[in-house]
Formats: sequence, C-alpha cells, structure tokens
Amino acid sequence: MILPGFEYRKATSVADAIALYNDFEGKARYLAGGTDLMPLLKYRLAAPAAIIDLKGIEELKAIAAIDGWLTIGANVTLFELKNHPVVKEYFPLLYQSLDATSCETLQMRATIGGNLLQDTRCIEYNKSLEWRAARGFCLKMGGKCCNVVPHSRVCLSNYCSDNALSLVALSAEADLAEAGGEKTAGLEKIYTGSGSKPFVVEPGTLLTRIRIPLEKSKGVYEKLRVRNSIDYPLAAVAVAMKKSVARVCVGGVGPAPLVYELAGTDEGTLRDAANSASTDARAVPNAILSPAYRKKMVGVLFRRAVQKVLREGA
Amino acid sequence: METVKVAFTVNNEETVLQVSPNETLLETLRERLDLTGAKESCGIGSCGACTVEVNGLPLRSCIVLTSEMQGADITTVEGLNREGKLHPLQQTFMEEGAVQCGFCTSGMIMTAKTLLDKNNQPTQKEIIKTISSNVCRCTGYKKIVKAVGEASKKTA
Amino acid sequence: MEDNLNIVGKRVVRSDSLAKVTGRARYTADLKMPNMLVAKVLRSPHPHAKILAIDLDGARKVPGVKAAISGFDGSGIKWGVFRYTQDHAMLPTDKVRYIGEDVAAVAAVDEETALEALSRIRVDYEPLPSVFDPLEAMREGAPIIHEQYKNNINIHVHIDVGDVDKAMESAFLVREDTFKAAGEAYAMMEPYAVVASFQNGFLDLWMPNAGPHVRAKALANLLKMPLNKVRVRHINSGGAFGGRSEVAPADLVASLLSIKADRPVKLVLSREENATSSRQIHDMSATIKTAMSKDGTIVAKDLRAIYDGGAYSSTGPIATSVPFYVYEECYRFPNIRYNGYRIITNKGIRGMYGCHGRAFLAGNEAQMDLMAKELGLDPVEIRLKNGLRAGEMTATKSRITSCGLQETIETTARKTDFQKRWAKPQKLEGIGMGCVAIMCGFPMGFRSGSSCYLKINDDGYVTLVTGVVDNGQGNESMVIQAASEILGVPMEDINLVNADTEITNLDPGAYSQAAAFVSTNAVKIACEKARKQIVAIAAEKLAVSETDIALKNRLVYSVANPEKKMPIAWVVREAFARAEPVVATGTFFPDIDLEREWISRPWGQMAGTFSYATSVAEIAVDSETGMITMPRFTAAHDCGRAINPMAVEGQIEGSVQQAGVAAITEGNLWDGGHLLNPDLLEYKVPLACDMPEIDAIIVESGDPVGPFGAKEGGIAIRMNAYSAVACALTNATGVLFKEMPLTPDKVLEMVEKATEEKG
Repeated sequence: MILPGFEYRKATSVADAIALYNDFEGKARYLAGGTDLMPLLKYRLAAPAAIIDLKGIEELKAIAAIDGWLTIGANVTLFELKNHPVVKEYFPLLYQSLDATSCETLQMRATIGGNLLQDTRCIEYNKSLEWRAARGFCLKMGGKCCNVVPHSRVCLSNYCSDNALSLVALSAEADLAEAGGEKTAGLEKIYTGSGSKPFVVEPGTLLTRIRIPLEKSKGVYEKLRVRNSIDYPLAAVAVAMKKSVARVCVGGVGPAPLVYELAGTDEGTLRDAANSASTDARAVPNAILSPAYRKKMVGVLFRRAVQKVLREGA
Repeated sequence: METVKVAFTVNNEETVLQVSPNETLLETLRERLDLTGAKESCGIGSCGACTVEVNGLPLRSCIVLTSEMQGADITTVEGLNREGKLHPLQQTFMEEGAVQCGFCTSGMIMTAKTLLDKNNQPTQKEIIKTISSNVCRCTGYKKIVKAVGEASKKTA
Repeated sequence: MEDNLNIVGKRVVRSDSLAKVTGRARYTADLKMPNMLVAKVLRSPHPHAKILAIDLDGARKVPGVKAAISGFDGSGIKWGVFRYTQDHAMLPTDKVRYIGEDVAAVAAVDEETALEALSRIRVDYEPLPSVFDPLEAMREGAPIIHEQYKNNINIHVHIDVGDVDKAMESAFLVREDTFKAAGEAYAMMEPYAVVASFQNGFLDLWMPNAGPHVRAKALANLLKMPLNKVRVRHINSGGAFGGRSEVAPADLVASLLSIKADRPVKLVLSREENATSSRQIHDMSATIKTAMSKDGTIVAKDLRAIYDGGAYSSTGPIATSVPFYVYEECYRFPNIRYNGYRIITNKGIRGMYGCHGRAFLAGNEAQMDLMAKELGLDPVEIRLKNGLRAGEMTATKSRITSCGLQETIETTARKTDFQKRWAKPQKLEGIGMGCVAIMCGFPMGFRSGSSCYLKINDDGYVTLVTGVVDNGQGNESMVIQAASEILGVPMEDINLVNADTEITNLDPGAYSQAAAFVSTNAVKIACEKARKQIVAIAAEKLAVSETDIALKNRLVYSVANPEKKMPIAWVVREAFARAEPVVATGTFFPDIDLEREWISRPWGQMAGTFSYATSVAEIAVDSETGMITMPRFTAAHDCGRAINPMAVEGQIEGSVQQAGVAAITEGNLWDGGHLLNPDLLEYKVPLACDMPEIDAIIVESGDPVGPFGAKEGGIAIRMNAYSAVACALTNATGVLFKEMPLTPDKVLEMVEKATEEKG
C-alpha cells in the first residue's frame, strides 16, 4: 500500500515547526511517531501537502520533575515514559495505561503527544478510500450522514487514547504552542465532543508538553479489549485516587473522555456513579462489540476500577 | 515532490539514497536494496511482519518514512548472520520448529532480537509480552516462545 | 507399523527453515523481473449491479500504462469446480455480484501510474436490488443473483440413511437446537499476489497456491490454452488454510495483462483486498435434531445446515458436505439425514477452510453433552460409546481402516482429570471435549492420486520431483524426510524439485489433507523402487544376499558383516554403466469409490483413510464482563504416524490458536455487503499473550496403507478445537451457545440466561 504524495520537512524547534506549517498554508500534518498518522495517510484519510517531522525537536524529548510538576515533552515515547522511575513511583495509573497501550513495539515508536492527539476511530471510517467510496462518505469525511447511526448528524467515533484517560484522571495539563505563543489548558478541555473534529485546538497548534501535578496517587486502569495486546480500548476506565478523592475518567466510547469526581466511596455512591457513567456513555455500533454491551461495560469497569483502588488503599 | 537525500547504515553498509518523501522504509528496503526479508502483510502497522531494527529498537517499517532515517543504524534479518554464522535466534527458530509458512518469521526474529539485546535472560512472561507485538497465523506461538528462550541461553 | 526407522519419526529441522530464518525465502511479492509491470484492479463498489459499459480508453492514455483489460478481453468461459457449478467468469461482463469484485485492471510501469489509470476507467452500472442474508435470499421474491439458481439455492446436498423419522419417534430423548457462526477470515500473513509472465506463447505464473496442478488446469480452461503452456511454478507460500486452493480472479487478471502487455506483470493485493476480494469463509447456521436411547446411543440425527455461499459456487458441493462427513466419519449413526444448502448472496467469494463448519460441529458436540448429562452420562462416556472404531463403516459406506479416536479421548480425559472436573465444575469454570475425524484426501476423480519421479545422480545426490506443494505446514520437508529414510542418504543430499506443473506430475495438492497419505506414499514407492535397484547391484558387488543389504549414511552395506560396504554413489555409477540408471517413478492412488459424487451419489469410500482427534479446553468466564479466559488446552491427534513430531505439534498448536482461541475472537462482521473488519486490527487473530498452555499429544494408530503408517497431521484439531471451547462454555454456564465467535457480549447473555434459569 503506497502513501500519497507529500513534501517532507524536518523541524528543529517548536517555532520552526509552526513556521513550516504556515509555509504550507496549513496544508500540513505534524509527524511524531507516525503510528496514528501513517495508517491515516495510507487509507487516504489525510492528504497533506507536507509532513513536518517533529522528532528532531530535542526540547520535546525531556521528562523533568520540577516545581511540583512532572513535565513530559510531547516527543517522549510511551515506552520511555512507562519505564521512567517517577511514573512508576508517583503514577501507577499512568504506568498501567501506558503498559496497556497497543504493544511493546508500537509503544517504542509512539509518542505521548501523538497518543493524546490521535484521531477518533470508527469501524466504518478507518478503511481504504475504495472501501469508503463504496460505502458512501460519512460525517467525519465531510459527508451528509453517519454510516453507523442512520440520520444522525453527530459523529460519535471513538477516542481511543488509553493514556488520555489516565492523564485526565491525574488532572494533567497540556501546553499548546501556536503562532501567537504558548498557552496551557487542562487536558480534559481540549476535546470538542464531536468525532468530526475531536480537538478544540486550532490547526497548526503544537502540543509541546504534558504536565502532571507531582503528587503520589493510587490508581487503576481497566481496559476492555478482545486481545491482550495491540488492540485499542472498546471501553476503558482510569481512576486516580488522591487523599480518598477518586477522579475517574471514562473513554474508548465516543469522541471525548468523560470525567467524574466521586463524592464518596461507599457502595451506594459508587453504584450510582457507575450507573450514571454507563448512562452517559454514547455507544453506537462503530466498534466490533455491540453498543449495548460496551455501554454496560463502562459501568462494570467503573465499579471494578474504583473497588480495586480502594482495596489497594487499604 | 522534492526528493530527500538520506544517509544511513543498513546491515553495516553505509547507504546514501535520494528518495521520494512518501517512500516507506519497507519500500526502500524491498524495492531499492533488494532486502525482501521484511514483509508487507497488513500495511498499517498492526501485524509486525515488516519489523526491522533501527537504532536498537524494533520498528514497523511499513509505517515509517525513509526520509526519517537520516543517520539511522538499521539491521534487517538479512544482516543477522554474519560471516556465515547464524544468529542464535535463527538457529533456535529452526531447531525448535518455530517456522511454518515463514511470512511472519523475519519480523518475529527481529522483534525478539531487540528484546535479547537489552535483556539476555528474559522470563517467559517477558518473551510473550514482547512477541505479542507480532501476529503469526500458523504456529500458535508456543515454539516461537521456546525458541526465544533457548536463544537467550545461547546469548547469555 | 514399521519400526527401526532412522529419520522418520525424528524431530528434524525442516528443510525449508534455513531460507526462512535468513530472509532468503522468496514469496511472490519478492519477485523481480526485467520489464516487470505493476498491476492494479478496479473493483465493484456495488453489491449487485448490471454492467452497462466499461470504458478503458482513459486508462490506456495515461503515460506509462502498458495494458488495460476487463472481462470483455477474456474468453467468456466461466469457472466452476464441477460442470454444474460453472458460474464464475472471474472478470464479469454481465453484472457485478459483490463489493470488491474484479471489474477491470491495468498494468503500468509503477503503482502510482497504475492507480492514476484506474481513476480514469469509466464503468456504467445499473444498481440492482441485493440480498445478504441466506434465509432472505431463499425466500420467494428475493433478488436472483444467478438465473440458474432458483431461490438462490446454489447447492443442495441431501443424504438420508436408515429411517430417521421412525427412529426419532421411538427414541428415549430427542432434542433440537439451532446454532450460528460468523464466517472467519483466512488471514494468512501473505496477502494474495500473482506474477504472470507471458513469453513466446508460454505463460509462467507464480502465486501462493495449495495445488499447482489444479490451478494450472483452471487457468488453462479460462485462457483456452493447453496445459503445457500454462506453467504454475514453485514459490513459497505465506499460509493457505484452504484459502489458496482454488483459482483466483487475480490469476486471470495478471495473466490477461501479461498477455496483452507482452511483459511480466506483478499484482499484489492489499490486506483489505485480500479479505474482500480473494476468498472468505462461509457464515453458517445449523439446526440439529438428535435422538438418543436411554443408554446414550445416538439413534438418529436430522441435520440441516445453511451456508452463506457468497456470490459464486467456488467448491460449493464440497464445502456444503464436509462438515457432515467429518462428523459421520467420527461417530456411529444408524439413521441420519442431512440437508445442506449453500445459498448465493451478494457477498465476497468463499472457499473451504481448515476450521470449516464450526456452527455445525460445535453445535452437535455441545448438544450431545447436554443430552448425555440428562441421561446421567458424561462427555467421555458418550463419545466412547458412539465413536467409530477400526473396521466399522460410516453411515455413507466408508470403511475405517485405522482409528485412534478412543485413545485420543482416553488420553486427553486422563491428562485433564476430565470426568471429575466436568461433573463438578467450579463457578463459571468449565471443561469441554470435542472430537472429529477427517478424510485424508477428498475424492477428486483421477486427480485423487499423486505421481512423482526421482533420480540419483552420479555423485550419489538425489533429485526428487513431485507435485507436492508446501503452504507452510512442512510438506516439502516431509517428503524429503521420507525419501531420506528409504534411500539411506541425509536429508541435505536430496534436492526437491516440486510444485512446478511443467516438470512435476499430477498431484492432488495440499488442501484436502492428502499430502502425507497420498503424495508421501507416491514418494515412498518411487524411493523403494530406486532402493531395490541399488540393493540388487550392491548385493552382487558385495557378494551377499539382497535381504542382507541395508542403506544408511550414504553407504550400502551388509547387515551381517558391516565391513562389507560401498558408497551408494559407486552403485549409481555402476548402474549408469549398465545402462540402467537409478531412476524411478512412484504413483499412489488411494482406494476410493470413483463413482461417488457429492450430490448425485453421496456414498461409497470417501478416502483412503481417516485421521482422528480430541480436543479438551479448560475455560473460566468472568461473570460481569463475559470474557472467557482459557488457561489450558489439551489436544490429542491420531495422525497415524508422526513423520516429524515437531511439525505435527506445530500443527496442533496452530490449530488451538486458529480454531480454539479463535472461537472466542474471530469472525467477519458485515454491514450489508460491506465487510467491516478486512484488516489485521479489527479482525482478531489471537496473539501470543492470548494463548493457553498447550499439551499437544500425538497418537499413532499406524495406518496399514499410510506411508510408515502416516495419515494427516494438520487439520483434525482445527475441526474440533472450537467444539471443545463451546462444550466447556456449556459446562461452565449450563446453557448452549447460540452463535460463534463467543465474544464477551454473547457470553454475558449466556451467563445472564443461566442465572435467570437458576432463578
């Protein structure tokens, strides 16, 4: 399967990358590990005039624990991050989600920045141009209707980053660089909730760093998948527990992660919270298991994850 | 498209190429350098049949641009047996019957090699975890796991 | 069974593995030739549409395009395995019948140019109503996909032995259930590829195939060329599993393009095309009615199976019959009726599969367990009671010559403490057993036999020429090992020239479990003839009797006085000097009933012999998620004799993956005529971390006719591993499965149903 034609540029700094992006009048895509982007290009789901390689930007490769934050450069690979001593010691939740991401080989290539900004997925979207042309273009391809929910005007393709769920549960922030300068946003704020355009960031914006408050926490990541490696989540729940406050993030179902703060951890509160997470989950037939099942599993994984954290806390 | 000049080492040989920006490493290896050991099976990075070693790490060459390879040190399965001597993994894959149709074999061996290079006494669990990056349709993986374990004894 | 063997029965390194571990083994996509062109295919975007016009002019005008073709460039002949199934033009001119069907193709100097040219082809279609569900397709008023198949019924196999209705009436226990299963993907690691090179009136072809001779014949027919001008050549194959058995549309496409361009052409399918447009596996449903006497004897079976056949016949009558036969080759059925229907739908073309028929086989096995339980019996007792034994006849009159079924049942039961654990399963844990038999070779008329040739060169090295083909299972190494045993030379002294239709003689191919029993027998016969020649000369030269001669380590020697010896090479040279060079042919034709026909006469000896196997799966079910985990799998296979036990184990282990674990993970998903998981990400081939511990047990019943006692050693576990999983799930939950794969959503429903029933 050959790639479409594009120019290749290698950026040496964040400013350089943004300048290159503007040189191509926005018809460019940033490339980090490429594990998400390359398949999209092969399937002709993206047709940029240029690819701007970010891997040469040294400043984005650092992991530093300073000033009460763990700051992670967007170019850090999932595997490097997973094996970083601070991650293991402070954020077992993040360790678990990194470990559950795809497989070792892809963890060694995929970056944390790319993992967070990966496109949403749908069983009728991630296909070749020929397949999609035969099926008819859907909302996410600029078509008029959804192919999995007839008459729907909203794209509910699934956001499948495992690590976004952990990071949101850990109250992480994202540093975003634009032509005008840098800004910081809570990670959970970068999602639109629409699968057609999943992120609020403007085109050309570069995710440069992730910052996690450097406080020890307990955590559990529960992931539903058919195979125990390579697979994206069909539903997933991340729980971070700090001083008996549980912050829970649900994902793998729908275009954006959903966050819940548990007011208490008694059985009744937990049951109600798990039920409402299940109710909130907008599962549609866009993955290989039935939507009703995935919706139900959100509740099951929610309860399991929290109970597991509580058990570990005891 | 402006072509890109890339210089890298493949199986210890310095190579300088002028490539199209959209050429994948797998295409370069197979089409230009006649190194057809790495295979294209899924084409989207989900099976591992195209795995080669780049700078000590396993890499799925079907989803990597050759343009990204400036300065890289690349080893393919063809580069494993030096001076007529097989790599221990090649030896044990044969002896343990870990090869059937052979289409996943190069990728499987290269993935296992990067594991043994950094951990020459892996546990069975670690071996299984590493090779769960690669799909094999024939073997049920048992003899592959055994072969990697036996090879680790030879490299220790 | 012959004992005292030097090489057969040993765990030898396979002859093909060195090239594979060094990356030197060549597969079709690796081939390069001077002036070779790249081909690409334009495919149908419609599940069913009339072709009004195909205009290739735009494509031909693209610089770099050397040929463009459609079905109008073909001979108009339609392919079918049988005269009554000739319905597949491979490149249609009347209408398209599935999404992804080959419509037109180009050959160009590179892939970009070929893709550009495809975009310039204009095809005018008139879309027609389409049908995807076989039950709907059978209804009156459904769109008719081929005029000749009324109600879209492509094949109806009807078998009726004894008096089923009468036996049902008087039986102690009768039960009827319906089971469904999604078709699987072959998902062989090598996507389909063809290289065609037409020169001076001769067409050479390379492609992964499981039977070069039948492939060449099909193409010769389609191209109206004589067989000796259509040469299918040897190449490594990256897996077949039944999906490389038949001629493929890509074969015709590449051939026509090469003929038209007068240059070699390479066509490599993408992973997605491999799924949508090479071959797929039948989705199916089975309704199983079983009657038992009070002691658990099966007195009658009334079976109905419906196969979603996709758009064309393919191996229709065989595919419709095989699940029934592998079952009746395993158990004793005094009264049995089978109605198998293969229905045409607007889905991709289908073929046979190594795990073919899982709804039917797993359904029968799981239902039998529930009935046994009701009668106070366990799965082991019921299988031993009803299982066939050597010397018995199957319901459709095949004699069983060797049978290790009982031993496979008893061994697996003993090693897993089966009966105790089955009787008292832990909460949501289960153990299950599946049995099956399989014919070693389908009856294929005069193509059922194999014939080979060998010569011993003047240096004592051997050239063995046979049509046997290797798709990864180890057939090449197997015949070399057999020859090495008989000729007394090491395996590395034997050069195998195989699977090349202009050189090798007719062979049934590797898709009907015939390679060990049929092809290896032919090799054995040839080697024995050559050996006889060597022995005669050596006895004379060494002045000993012929019965005192043995061959080993490249030497001929006297057993009584081993000092008396000479190199085999000397004998060979002496033979040349006597104008009687050591050359031999060997032919083996199994003892089968040539009058047998899949539809018109479904009885008589099916195959020369049958292999047997038993699988035992141990599972646990998560009560909240429905996820199945499988800690251990035990499989015993009566392969007659393991020529290379390491290779047989590899086949068993692969079968546990492809049928056992796949019973949980694998199945094609459809949205109408659109295949939703034509890739290796959403189609779930199990990974190393998903595998159970496996105890692979080889049982050697020693077939009286098989070479060294061998039958087949590759497929029987593939045909029962899913049954073991389904039965374990019944043991764990107390209810029968409804549909495979046993994905957690479906299993959770079973768990909930079981909880309700317990109330």
